[in-house]
Parts: sequence; structure tokens; C-alpha cells
Amino acid sequence: MGKSSILKSIKENKPTLISLPEIDVNSFEETINLVETFKKNVESVGGNIKELGQIQDLDLEIKNRYPNAKRIFSQISESVLGNVQISEQTKPKDLENLDLAILKGVFGVAENGAIWISDEQFSIRILPFITNDLVLILQKKDLCQHMHHAYKMIANRTRTFGLFISGPSKTADIEQCLVIGAQGAMSLTIFLI
Amino acid sequence: MKVGLFIPCYINQLYPKVGIATLELLEKLGVEVYYPTGQTCCGQPLGNSGYEEDAKGACQIFVENFKEYDYIVGPSGSCIHHIKEHFDILEQTEAVKNVRKNSYELCEFIVNILGKTNLGASFPYKVGLHKSCHGLRGLKLGSCSERMDDYYSTEEELLKEVKGIELMSLTRKDECCGFGGTFSVFEEAISVKMGKDRIQDHLDNGVEVITGADHSCLMHLDGLINRNNQPLRVMHIAEILNSCI
Amino acid sequence: MMSHSKLAEIFNKDEAKVNWHDKALWYVREKRDTAAHHVKGWEYLRDLASGIKANVLSNLDNYLVEFEKNAQSNGIEVHWASNAEEHNKIVYKILTQNNATKVVKSKSMLTEECHLNPYLESKGIEVIDTDLGERIVQLAKEPPSHIVLPAIHKTKEEIDVLFQEHLGTKPSNGDPQYLTNEARKHLRDKFLNADVALTGVNFAIAETGGFVVCTNEGNADMGVHLSKVHIACMGIEKIIPREEHLGVFLRLLARSATGQPITTYSSHFNKPAPGNAIHIVIVDNGRTEQLSREDFRSSLSCIRCGACMNTCPIYRRSGGFSYNATIPGPIGSILSPGMDMKKHSSLPFASTLCGSCSNVCPVKINIHEQLYKWRQIITKEQKQPLIKKTILKITGMVLGRPKLYAVLGISVRWMLKYAPRFMVYSKLNAWGKSREFPKVENGNFDQWYKNRKNNG
Repeated sequence: MGKSSILKSIKENKPTLISLPEIDVNSFEETINLVETFKKNVESVGGNIKELGQIQDLDLEIKNRYPNAKRIFSQISESVLGNVQISEQTKPKDLENLDLAILKGVFGVAENGAIWISDEQFSIRILPFITNDLVLILQKKDLCQHMHHAYKMIANRTRTFGLFISGPSKTADIEQCLVIGAQGAMSLTIFLI
Repeated sequence: MKVGLFIPCYINQLYPKVGIATLELLEKLGVEVYYPTGQTCCGQPLGNSGYEEDAKGACQIFVENFKEYDYIVGPSGSCIHHIKEHFDILEQTEAVKNVRKNSYELCEFIVNILGKTNLGASFPYKVGLHKSCHGLRGLKLGSCSERMDDYYSTEEELLKEVKGIELMSLTRKDECCGFGGTFSVFEEAISVKMGKDRIQDHLDNGVEVITGADHSCLMHLDGLINRNNQPLRVMHIAEILNSCI
Repeated sequence: MMSHSKLAEIFNKDEAKVNWHDKALWYVREKRDTAAHHVKGWEYLRDLASGIKANVLSNLDNYLVEFEKNAQSNGIEVHWASNAEEHNKIVYKILTQNNATKVVKSKSMLTEECHLNPYLESKGIEVIDTDLGERIVQLAKEPPSHIVLPAIHKTKEEIDVLFQEHLGTKPSNGDPQYLTNEARKHLRDKFLNADVALTGVNFAIAETGGFVVCTNEGNADMGVHLSKVHIACMGIEKIIPREEHLGVFLRLLARSATGQPITTYSSHFNKPAPGNAIHIVIVDNGRTEQLSREDFRSSLSCIRCGACMNTCPIYRRSGGFSYNATIPGPIGSILSPGMDMKKHSSLPFASTLCGSCSNVCPVKINIHEQLYKWRQIITKEQKQPLIKKTILKITGMVLGRPKLYAVLGISVRWMLKYAPRFMVYSKLNAWGKSREFPKVENGNFDQWYKNRKNNG
């Protein structure tokens, strides 16, 4: 009942068709250093970022940065730190005490420091949120300039659940004071390879 | 070029010296200025209060008074803005369309139509420019702080050429002063608070004289300055541009 | 029902608090400016967003149908609600079908508008707002005073006391880090034990049947992915045609709202997780009526960034509660009269028409022009204070009669010059309460001009 009356009312009340503008992406192009811009923006949104010369250094870096992490999930074959397994039997709540998740970022967006990840990589959607700390591994070649490029890059994905994640969970709801670590991950570290 | 001088109602009655400075300045610049008698008001106070229907008479008189002129020039941005923006309530005859098209705020007329910026004025004081909203955002006399356009300011182009003047920069470049026509009485508390804050910004930045291209804002600020005995005065930009001190 | 001006006057009794409120919001406005400056083609981006939304409103029925079809084929259940009551009933029905008694909710202005929380609470459901600011106002039993910064009116000391009372925290002098941490623990528990998660929708994509929810805290995702059932509530106007349009809107949204380049989490929901359910409730509640109003329909383009509030010199100095509406500030002042003109008749007058709201609006709604237009309608359709009405009607009459005007102009000037101070500065005269009248000079401009002509 709601549906037909709403649609009827829209039909009666809407203006004549206004055409959809085309997005001229050229208007947004700039010659920028993608890596440097990305790094700067990750830091500005409260994330940590480090370039690694070789992926072999990864575990050492992670241990240095998160010395107290005990329950760790890793999706990266180059890391041997993972000790939490996720299977089809795993329930979201089982990850309640996860200390660290190490995931692969699909690509990064220079203009806002965001990284696209999706549940093709983590079968349990709560993972990047419920983990106390989050590490994302990103290839330097997988950086794009801005969101218009970003949506081209995910245009042909299998659409289930995915997100742009830009920095750690944060809030400024108490007197505009920025506090890192609200309801999601307390920190985000990105390793650029 | 035949220019009709539009002196808004409140300037006519309360600030004749602003009208005089405007006329003298235009004449100094070699403009042939006429002052049609029987002017009342552009109708802005009524329109902004929700009674634009009742302003039709005033709008008609305005069009009658000014329809013959090549340009209509007035020293009050908000009034000019009202003519351009809100005379759509009249039947759009050729006369109405021309009047709307040919109306100019004084500064934009001098800079954009006459193409002059150095008017030979001198005014050795520290001056703060109040960019009135209807001039700034309505008539686009300058770029606004919230838009990402290239910087420009019609009034500053003129003031920069004034000898001896020191243009002081403000902390909030273009915040509203809180006059807003009948807003000033119907929302008295906020209006007064906004005015006080604007004045404080000028004081904090060492301003001696607040100027602007809309004397209605200045009237509101002046009322507060005088009540609170603050070490500032207001002058319309025409008075400064017409000064030889 | 108090008018905006009355409530604003009360708020202004504490000038220090007004200054504090003004500064907090101006700081956000400045962050927005800085963020926008970093985007090449910002104004073009706004043009695009405005154009896309205009297209949406002109083709809304088709987009909604397309959205529903695509969402359903992805296993999402779609419900339609004509008004707040239907919306609340649909949500409640989903809850009962799932034997749910505990609901966690992320920010949704729509559910505020529908007064969902009190409705569900009256049915014995526990509803926890999980956005920190929303949780703060929920504990304080207040509505949000801002659509993005719900607790912007509260000092950290006030929040400290509130948390001591409700969450059992220790006194901390309002330490934001400590208080946020305590809230995190408190909410973590709620997330883990919730039956159903409720969220709003920032953008729903017709082309894919998916939708996007943006948060900084991660609270929407914490709720959704820990529950079996996700209910997402959206107004009909949240539709955008294609996924690529998110590129435009996500670039604008957070920068306009808080000055961040993007929110921390921009979650794209297309299919429920295996074994879980997603329900979408599409709500009209007065929106199709607003669509019928040619002068006001573009107000439906709003993406709820709150930039117009942060820039509004009146909002900053009168506080969100002075608007007495679900959505306060400039955008609320053009939306609310469409919902209930009598209740909200003072709101379009709570503006100097300075136009800054329209300039910051990421979808370029001509807010200040719509305020002007609402004023013309309200004076006709709503009873106006007799004095105001009479004065303005007479003014109109006088201004249409040059000779009468000339005589009256002279008398007013005479009054201001010679009448005793107590008469000019009486209680009835709002101008003179805190301001002097102009010092009247000898003669007006007309007289000066006449004399000059005669002497010349």
C-alpha cells in the first residue's frame, strides 16, 4: 500500500525530467606524487604509514609496533604472526578479543588516505572493526588519485560488502576534541610495499 | 551616459551625508548624474519580512522613477540586490527588465562600468572593511571565504588606492553583522550579539573606522558602538572615497 | 510553542556559552574551508552533485523501482512506509518476527524524525544509540542539537557528570580520552548483545540496489556485523542513480561536514552476510509533498552534512534547540515548514538571508532564497503578530505614495531628534534596547538636493 501511493505521489509531483550530468574527470586531474599525497593524508586522518623496502621485514615491523598483540589474524602469506583461524563456523562474537588483524588492502586513494577492502578477503565482516588494531598491506602500485578513479576500479567487483577505510576509528563528539579509538579499531597501520 | 542616482529611503532620511558623498563622488568622476524626485524605497524591508506583495507599489514607483536611465546607481548593496533579485514580482515589462539589469551598487559601477579605481582620495586612518552579505554574496562584489574562487574584492580595489589608508585584515573576513532588516528587531537578541561580535573583530584588529558599501549594516553597528561607547566610528565607503584629508 | 527568537533570546542570556558554541562551530566551518581548498574543482564538484540530485528528483519513482528490484535480487528485503507511523510499525514488525528485544542504532535523522525510539521503547524494546554524541544526548534525554555533531551543545564537564551518573565513570574533569574509552566499553557490551542493528542510509544506488553508510566511529558496522538482522531506514530522496556518483558525493560529504577528506568508514552494503538478513525501509513522510512545491523541492537534495549549520551565524549563536525541529539550522528552516507550517512558522525568519548556507551547501540548495520564499507564504497563511503585520502593511502603503512618504519621513526624523529619550527608547522598541538610533542631521537628502539646485 505504501509503495503504490508513494510512487503515485512522486509521479504527480515530480518536475519534468532533468538530464543527468556527465562527470568530466579531467577537471579533477592534478600532477601529484601519489605515494607522498597518500602518506600525508593517511597521517592526517590519524593512521600510521610506513614504506617497507621488502615484504620480508613485515613481521618484524608489526612486532615492533604491536608488541602486546597476542591474538592475531593474518591474511597475508608473508606473515607468520597469525594464530587465530577463521572458518565458516566462526561466529562474529568469537572475534571479540582479537588483538590484531593483518589484511591486504585492494587499493588506496591518494586524496583521502582511504583503502578499499571487501569481504572477499575476510569472510567475517566484523573483522576489521572488532579487532583492537588493524594492519593493512598495500602495494604502492595500487594507488589512485581520487574517488572517481576508485569507483572505476571497483566497478566490476562481486558486490557483497566492502568499504573504504580511512584511518582508525575516531570521534570528536566531546567538545570537538579528536579522540582516536571510538567503537572500531583503535589504530590503523598501513605498510606500503 | 545618463545615470540616475538612487538614494535608499534610510539614507535619504537618516544619513543624507552618505547620499551627498555619493553624488559628489560620481560628479567628480565626470558622470552626468540625475536625482529623480519622489523616490521612496525599493521595498526590501517588506520583502524580507514576507510582505513583498505589499511592496509592489514601491517597486512600481522605483521603475517609473528610473526607467529612462542608462544606469541606476545607489550606495547600498542590499537595495540594489533587492531590485535585481526580487523585482520579479512585477510584470516583466521592458522597463522593469531594464531597471533590474541596469542597477548598480556604487563600487561596482565605479570599478566595472567606469573602469576606475584610483579616485584621488586620501584618508589616513586604519580602516576595516565590512563586506555586507547582500553585496558580497548577492551582487558578488567580491569572493566569499566559503567559496573556492579566486580572491577579489571590488571595494578593496578602490580602498587600496586611497592615500594614507591602512586596510586592516579581519579574523572573520565576511561574517554577517546581524542587521538583516526587520531581523534586527524581530530577532533582537541574536542581531545584537552578531553585531557585537563583528565590532569586536574590528577592535581586535586595530580598526579605527569601519566602512562598507551598505549603510544599513553600518547603521546597526553604529547603534551598538554608540551605545557601548566604543573607540570606533563608521563611514560609508563613498565618504572615504570622497575624502581629501 | 516558543518562537525561534524567544528561544534564541533565552540562549543568549549566557553570553560565555554563546561564545563557546559559536567558536566550536566556526572551528568546524574553517576546517571545512581548508578541506575544500585542497580539492581541485571543488565548485564544479558541487555543480555535479546539484545536477545529479536534480535529475534524481525528476526521476525518483523510476529510480526507486530500479533500486528495489536490484536490492531484492541481492536478497535484501524492501519495505515502503508512507509516514512515520507506518515506518515505526514496519520496524517493530521486523523486530517481533526476529524475537528481538535489544536494538543498537547508528545515526539516522530519519528515525529521529519518525520518533522511533520512544515508539519502540513503549513496546518494551531497548534501543541504544551507538554514535557517541547520540548516546550522550540519549542519556541526557535530549534530542540531538546538530545533525552531525549531536552533542555539540554540551560541555565536556557536563558529559563527565552524565557519564558518572549513567555509566558509573570516575570524575575526570571532562577528559575526552577517558570518557570516550568508557563509552567504548559500555557500547561494546551493547553491540555484543544486540539482536538487531538499525542504521540510516547515506546513499542508495538505483543501479546496484546497494547502499552506503558512513561513520567515523565504526558504530554502524559494529552493530550490523554483530547482529543477525540489519534494518536500514531511508527517506525516498536518498537515491542516487549510479555507483560512480558516489565518487562525487563521498568527496563532498565529509569535507563539508567536518573537514575530513572522507569518513573513516564508508561501508557499501549489497548483500546480506550468509545466514543474515538486511531490510530496507523506504519512507515518504511528507517528502512527496515537498516534491510538489516547485520553489522548495530542491531542499530534498540535502545530504545531511550539516555545513549550513556550522556556517550559519544565527545557528552558531542560538544553538540547535532554538529551532525546535528535528533538523535545525538553515536547511531545517526550509524543510520544517513543509512538515508543519504552524509549528515552524518562525524558522524562515531566523536568518539575515546572508547566503553563506547556500554557498557551503555541497548540493547547492539555494537555502537563503527558499527562506525568503517561505516568508512570503507564511505571512499569508499563518496568523502574524498584529503589530508586525500592521506596521508592515502601513509601510507598504506609504512607500507606494511618495508625497505621504515625504511627510512621514520628516516626522520620523523629527521624532528621533526631538522626542524625549524615554519615548524613543521604550520597551516596545526592540531596536533601542541595546542600540542607539542614528543621530539625525538637519534635513534629509531630498532637502539638501533641492537647496543645492536652488542655489546652483
